[in-house]
Amino acid sequence: MFKAIFYKEWIKTRWYLLLAVATTLGFAGYSMLRISRVVDLKGAEHVWEVMLSRDVIFIDLLEYIPLLVGMLLAVVQFVPEMQRKCLKLTLHLPYSQLRMVGAMLLYGLLVLSFCFAANFFLMALYLHGVIAAELEQHILLTAVPWYLAGITAYLLVSWICLEPTWKRRIINLTMSVLLLRIFFLSVTPEAYNQFLPWLLIYTLLTASLSWLSVSRFKVGKQD
Amino acid sequence: MLRFSKILFYFTVIFLLLWQLPWCYNFFTAKSSKSGFVLYSSIIGDFVITGQQEGKDGKEGKIVVRRDLSGHKYTQDEVDSILPMFYCRQLMSDERFPDSINGVEVTPRLVQTENFVFKIAPTDLNTPHIGLYPLLESMSGRVELEMPKDVFRITNKGIEFVDMATNSIESAKSTLFTEALTKKGFHFPAIEITGNPTTRKEYDEGYVLLDVNRQLFHLKQVKGRPYVRIVDVPHGVELKHLFITELKSRRTLALMTDKNYSLYVLTAPYEIKKVAIPSFDPEKEAVSIIGNLFDWTLRITSQEEDNYFAVRSDDFSLIKAMKNPTVEETLAQKIGNYIFPIRISFTGELDNFVKPRI
Repeated sequence: MFKAIFYKEWIKTRWYLLLAVATTLGFAGYSMLRISRVVDLKGAEHVWEVMLSRDVIFIDLLEYIPLLVGMLLAVVQFVPEMQRKCLKLTLHLPYSQLRMVGAMLLYGLLVLSFCFAANFFLMALYLHGVIAAELEQHILLTAVPWYLAGITAYLLVSWICLEPTWKRRIINLTMSVLLLRIFFLSVTPEAYNQFLPWLLIYTLLTASLSWLSVSRFKVGKQD
Repeated sequence: MLRFSKILFYFTVIFLLLWQLPWCYNFFTAKSSKSGFVLYSSIIGDFVITGQQEGKDGKEGKIVVRRDLSGHKYTQDEVDSILPMFYCRQLMSDERFPDSINGVEVTPRLVQTENFVFKIAPTDLNTPHIGLYPLLESMSGRVELEMPKDVFRITNKGIEFVDMATNSIESAKSTLFTEALTKKGFHFPAIEITGNPTTRKEYDEGYVLLDVNRQLFHLKQVKGRPYVRIVDVPHGVELKHLFITELKSRRTLALMTDKNYSLYVLTAPYEIKKVAIPSFDPEKEAVSIIGNLFDWTLRITSQEEDNYFAVRSDDFSLIKAMKNPTVEETLAQKIGNYIFPIRISFTGELDNFVKPRI
């Protein structure tokens, strides 16, 4: 059943995923190109100096990209599910409903993680040759909350999309906006270092909120 | 699973309310509080406070009031005269600059060399740090300082210089500096490394460091070679934080604090003098120092208190202390404290980190 769910989700999201991977890699690659251009024009020393003295990290462009990618994946995956009443059919299949919903979310988490990991791999690959390990770590750790926000956004928007009533959707939306704001409270690089493990745990826990919406859907809540 | 989801939902609702409601309340009720400008005058032997005060019947708006602690009021011209070191340029412009102050002959050039402003905030310490440090050439023979082509890191084994252009370790230079440090008794790694690696200063003093045994060292680069000096620390003093000063006068090398929150000055050449103030915790308090040839005025601000100290600039003995009356809580703040006994925030005034705090 897992395979079947994964295949169904893949059919639904494959073109979007291609676009998401291309967009995120495009932005990450462009950020690396910006560093490369500074190296060509002013020398590698300039990159090191501005990073050490002015808190420049060169990847600011990426800040909200993972967030958008995560939100849109949830929309692409779950809006058709609700509009075409596919979720109703899925829940009638002779298989654990919790596992089916879990499999759908797991699919999203896995492909999103793959997409984001590709970004980190690309950046680490380039940065490793140009700057010291400390500076590379500085850039990548600064980006971690942004990508974590992308994963949280995916889970929260899934929660909103699966919710059957508009009144509750607005409450969920408000909570989601506030929760996602937490990931963007500071512009100081590496400001989230101490908070990252807790953010990661909470992000994973938000997957359970979708079950709340599905349960309300099952009992027939509607506008 | 449903029960867990519900618990998480309500936990999140409470968490967000404890964060957002006090924030919104503060946003709409916050009022700015301005404290006056305070400076010690060695001419009158008292603090001079310049602040704003409501005019008569509130009709004249706010007026500037200059007074000392005994309540004596001064005009702007009088303040210029009793703070000649601070208002040196104004006195020169008015052709009122004295030949001598407190029996010491002074010139505008001397005053400008000795005057300084130095600030330390908790956010300077409580912030993410990258463990790479540029070591400038402190005796290049040129007037302008230049940024080096490499940076150093201190590991458990020694000091490593990394060439920025090639991102590779400079083995010869690393060995030279490691040997120089080891020879002087430095035990790796360093637990505190403080410098001011910028070209926007008149001279470079490199770095002051604490080794793993909290022994104090001074490291700089002189004509491409290491200059390492071990500094004797008074018995019983366990240094914790260092702040390199690089003042125009070159009379001090660094400010330092120890585990008991005492403040010390490392003078040139290498003498440690205790500043006679009760305590200073740089992780929680900010200090701003306005110094001159005769005295330093230190303002130490914490979230609860705002204290001023005047100390002599030669032996740092206490001349006078003043506690600024804490600004009384407004009615809105009192109500806020009552309505929101528990608040959650993610950012704070004392650090640059994002983390939940109650």
